[in-house]
Amino acid sequence: MISELVIVVNVDAKRCNPGSKPIMSINRLTLVTLALFVSLIFPLTVRSSEPSFRRDVMPIFFRAGCNAGTCHGSARGKDGFMLSLFGYDAKGDYERVVNEMIGRRVNVAVPEQSLLLLKATGAVPHTGGKLFSKESEYYKTVLAWIEAGAPDDIGQVPSTVEVVLSSKGMVFEKTELSETLTVTAIASDGSQRDVTGLARFFSNNDSVARIDADGRVTAVGPGDTNVFARFSRFTVGAEAIVLPSEATFQWPDPVAINFIDELVFDRLKKLRVIPSDLCDDETFLRRVTLDLNARPPTLAEYRDFMADTRSDKRAIKIDQLLENEAFADFWTALWAEQLRVIGGNYAPVATDVKAADAFYQWIRTQMRSRRPLNEFIAEMVDASGSNLSNGPVNLYTMLVHKPQFDPKAFAADFSQAFLGVQIQCAECHNHPFDRWTQDDYYGFVSFFTGMKRKPGIEPRERRIFCDTTAPPAKHLVDGRPMPAKTLGSVEPVPAGGDPRKALALWLTAPENEMFSRNLANRIWAQLLGRGIIEPVDDVRASNPPVNGPLLDALSRRLVDVKFDLRSIVREICHSRVYQLSARPNESNVRDTRQFSHAHLRRLRADVLLDSIVAVTGVPRRFSGFPDGTRAIEYYPRESGDTEGPHFGDQFFATFGRSSRATVCACETKREPTLSQTLHMAVGDSVRDRLSANGEMKRLLESKTGPDEVIEELFVKALGRQPKSDEAAAMRALIGDSVKDPAAYEDILWSLLNSTEFAFNH
Amino acid sequence: MKSAMLLLARTKSALFPDGALRGWLLTPSSTSVARSSAGLHEPSDGEQCLHWLRQTLNLSLKISTIIGMCCMVVMAEDAKSITYDDHVAPIFRKHCLQCHGDSKQEAGLNLAGYLSTRKGGSGGEVVVAGRSSSSRLFKAITEEDPEARMPPKNDPLPKEQIALIKSWIDTGLRQSFGSSPVTMRKLGFTPTAFEKVDGPPPMPQNLPAIESVRLIRSFPVLALAASPRAPLIAVSSYERIDFVDPSTRNLIGSVPFPEGEPHFLRFNRSGSVLLVAGGRPVQNGVAVLYDVKTGKRLAEIGNETDVVLAADLSADEKQIAIGGSSRVVKVYSTETGSLVRSLVKHTEWITAIAYSPDGKLLATGDRVGNIHLWDVFSGGVVLPLSEHKASITSLSWRSDSQVLASSGEDGLIAWWEVANGWPLVSKADAHPPQRSAGVFGKIANGVLAASFGPGGQLITCGRDRTVRLWASAGNLLKTFDSSPVGDSQISGTRLLPLQAVFTFDGNSVVSGDSAGQIKSWPIEAVQK
Repeated sequence: MISELVIVVNVDAKRCNPGSKPIMSINRLTLVTLALFVSLIFPLTVRSSEPSFRRDVMPIFFRAGCNAGTCHGSARGKDGFMLSLFGYDAKGDYERVVNEMIGRRVNVAVPEQSLLLLKATGAVPHTGGKLFSKESEYYKTVLAWIEAGAPDDIGQVPSTVEVVLSSKGMVFEKTELSETLTVTAIASDGSQRDVTGLARFFSNNDSVARIDADGRVTAVGPGDTNVFARFSRFTVGAEAIVLPSEATFQWPDPVAINFIDELVFDRLKKLRVIPSDLCDDETFLRRVTLDLNARPPTLAEYRDFMADTRSDKRAIKIDQLLENEAFADFWTALWAEQLRVIGGNYAPVATDVKAADAFYQWIRTQMRSRRPLNEFIAEMVDASGSNLSNGPVNLYTMLVHKPQFDPKAFAADFSQAFLGVQIQCAECHNHPFDRWTQDDYYGFVSFFTGMKRKPGIEPRERRIFCDTTAPPAKHLVDGRPMPAKTLGSVEPVPAGGDPRKALALWLTAPENEMFSRNLANRIWAQLLGRGIIEPVDDVRASNPPVNGPLLDALSRRLVDVKFDLRSIVREICHSRVYQLSARPNESNVRDTRQFSHAHLRRLRADVLLDSIVAVTGVPRRFSGFPDGTRAIEYYPRESGDTEGPHFGDQFFATFGRSSRATVCACETKREPTLSQTLHMAVGDSVRDRLSANGEMKRLLESKTGPDEVIEELFVKALGRQPKSDEAAAMRALIGDSVKDPAAYEDILWSLLNSTEFAFNH
Repeated sequence: MKSAMLLLARTKSALFPDGALRGWLLTPSSTSVARSSAGLHEPSDGEQCLHWLRQTLNLSLKISTIIGMCCMVVMAEDAKSITYDDHVAPIFRKHCLQCHGDSKQEAGLNLAGYLSTRKGGSGGEVVVAGRSSSSRLFKAITEEDPEARMPPKNDPLPKEQIALIKSWIDTGLRQSFGSSPVTMRKLGFTPTAFEKVDGPPPMPQNLPAIESVRLIRSFPVLALAASPRAPLIAVSSYERIDFVDPSTRNLIGSVPFPEGEPHFLRFNRSGSVLLVAGGRPVQNGVAVLYDVKTGKRLAEIGNETDVVLAADLSADEKQIAIGGSSRVVKVYSTETGSLVRSLVKHTEWITAIAYSPDGKLLATGDRVGNIHLWDVFSGGVVLPLSEHKASITSLSWRSDSQVLASSGEDGLIAWWEVANGWPLVSKADAHPPQRSAGVFGKIANGVLAASFGPGGQLITCGRDRTVRLWASAGNLLKTFDSSPVGDSQISGTRLLPLQAVFTFDGNSVVSGDSAGQIKSWPIEAVQK
């Protein structure tokens, strides 16, 4: 009797306070007294040795894969038996296991005959095969639970509130080394337990590091990745770095211009990757002009910059470009694309061209007047009023194009656009690879459940307002009303009034790192061609930043400069990292994500079209817009409603400008296609411009010889001098017909069809 | 009779792994069926031996496991008597028929029958008499590579079973013990003539005591049936059926059901025969007819790979229809035991089957709420009855065969006018969900069973833990609370009334619950 009690106390003590060794040293008498004491105070202590459905059985469903999406966790279950995906609905799972088909899945009279156990051990045919053996702990736990009568949990079972990995990061000197992780779950009552045997593991890149079912990480090949453990609703990760051989590595110690360089170079040094050299002036000028003003440098700009001998001429150039209105106009285009500005002429859906134009002009005004980005966004978030006269309110008509306002779709797109977080998974189940729960999702939806549109004075007008009497969203599983609650917080925002006021405050507050990190990451991705988190709008625990300190620092800096876009862009462009050559060296040739060299980026469709116009000097007209409108200033204006994909101009469809069908960053496509090649080669965009307006003729007349003309064509199209072999080859093409425009048109055609023209490098 | 004998034989052979009993096994005198129970009568040699073995091997009387292993044990010297029916078919049924059976034929292969096994799959024959090494079936089960091996994604078959299949092939693919193949079985069951429904009502008399499987707690009452002519209730338990007096709830006697869990019970109209259907989940399923008076097994029907969830005996007692997870309703002849027809229409598990008392119609229901009416004689579909949105839990005919009642997990009870296929009355939330404060969303309020009484009233029970009595017009007469007793037996579990029936005279109702308990309530005359 006594020894039994001692055991009970030991077990309990361990649960409440693991790793507390002193209990071993207490003398036996004290222990026994303590045991008796405890057993008197907590008469139910012994029951805690019985397995709990939520605490002990459900994690086995998770670990064995029973409730995975391809098995019984599928929305309709599998072979007639459904479990909630990864266990978001414990109560429902209990009902389905125990009460749905009484006596079948669970047999409390002859527990080992429960179908649950027979299937899992492969004793009877099972589509999912054998999952564990009769000797395993999993089997014993489930059996013990059924032997106890398959009880449901009474009262609150301490839920897992945090999961901790034994390592935050591992560095392997060479391949085939390994390290084993352990996973600890911390419960809401403060107790901890080792759940390594109940967690599931995965690696983001098996060609760098693998992780097996026991949590053992093995180095496979040089590089860096993250390995993860999942338990309960948590995904926790650790970095795994596998180093290349030290023998060939010698850090060149490049000069760091600012904090960006320091943090990127720290990372590269740690990974034993040597960055590329600084790019030359020609490359820099073309790159920064395309990035900041969305066009190639002009001939005059090229000559001035190349002639400039000042040591800080790059910084001066950056400032010039930032001051140019083209910078504001380009960012207007980027925001309009992100916010899905489309104009239609179907009055009932509130997205008339007049509304779209009001929204577009408002965005441009904010960009030109240097409105801090947080204020810019906050004004949209709690906007109300007419869609025709109050531009920012069109966030509620355009971000989701639907005849009726849809709070769920809007909440999902809102968080994707402004936080980079995709919460829509949590509509039906807790996010499988992030911390978002259905509580978070429905609480967030409730910010928008009151949004209404009512007809205005004229047919195209809709007045957008928040009906503060509207009920909040209901939880999918149990129908609970979920009052408006910001993501990740526990308590809802104070009731009463328009909850969007609180949302705007929370969203754009300097303390909201989700917000500032999203902006910083998107701006970085725009300039470097790849986010520190990529894709930029899929921020989640299992998709960590490739350089955490860098994103932290950029985000902090953005807050420090009071969300001023130009300041943060200037800082990035100043960095040596931004100015690195795209030409890789032996050490960094395989690096695609640590910014050790510049990324080759195909020009966005609109920038490409503007560049063709700039080089050929022949303007492009867009239907519904005045002459002289640049491609970046164009947004789709269509007849009818505005749901679904809208490219507007066919050129944009071909070259993958966002169709604005969804809020996803992936709508902007940079992949090459055959039709792009054909369009550049024989389509009207290039062909019709080569000889139009007599531009070529004028050029020929203004120059003394073919070499000069060739040089000017190279500079205009590619922003650089022709190399001697290129010049010689071109000269040979011209032969004797030095004044024949056709020959020069062929050369220009070749330049515009080169990959060098289509890419920012 | 033969299959019943075989069952016995298998049971015994499993109990006597040393082969000591082989001689006994083949003794024709062992036709007294279902002796897995050690009766009070003079034990045979075999049974004495059995006692000894039980003690020695501490088998804990877990007949369940024993039946599972029944076919594993074969002696090498026994090779000549290895047959498809006796030894190989049980292995196939347990491990193969889920994918290569009657309902599904992966690679065109059906191992459920001897002939179809010989025929092979889409790639040709899989067994070659006398040459296991060139039989593809044997290769598949002995494959080294787990990816290529059968059964897929599982451990290989036990060595003994592989050895058994090997010697079956090598000794010439015999179908059965006799030299000529047996295709028709004679069940020895004679349907009761209609006019014979008179005389004293049959009651079980001195049924031999049976040994029960050790249960750590009572098995839920999955099935319940009242004799139409006697104060007698049949109650399902684990591997047995108890006969109970409804007024005293005293046990009158029990019959064993070693095939597993009875899921369905029904007396014939004279009360002399009890139909029991059930089995073990994803292992085996069968329907058995018992003589009520003596407890003797009269016939065995079906050889399924999963529990028979629903079954019924036709009014003329010439047919038994069974159904379950195979989604096919199979109709068997009670006289020959052969399959009369398969009714293929349901897209989900068959959960309820009922023949009309006039013998003309068969009603079947499935797990998504579809009900079909069939013509008993032609097997043609008469009508679909569409009203339920979730699993049908029971079907019951009013004694005049004009009205069929259905109950479902959607909380609905429907009284169907069979003549036109429309519900006369349709009661949604028949067992209303009980919502406590602060609880939102859907509350499970399925109706778990419905059964007509002799006077046309209906008795139902539901997940709201009540038993409800409905007048013949469909209005609620009374609610019996079935919750209080036994709820505290296991904290954290809920007690549910699973079955409810009227007694033969319609004077009381009896319910059985998930804790294996029986309750009964008298019905005052005024409410009738």
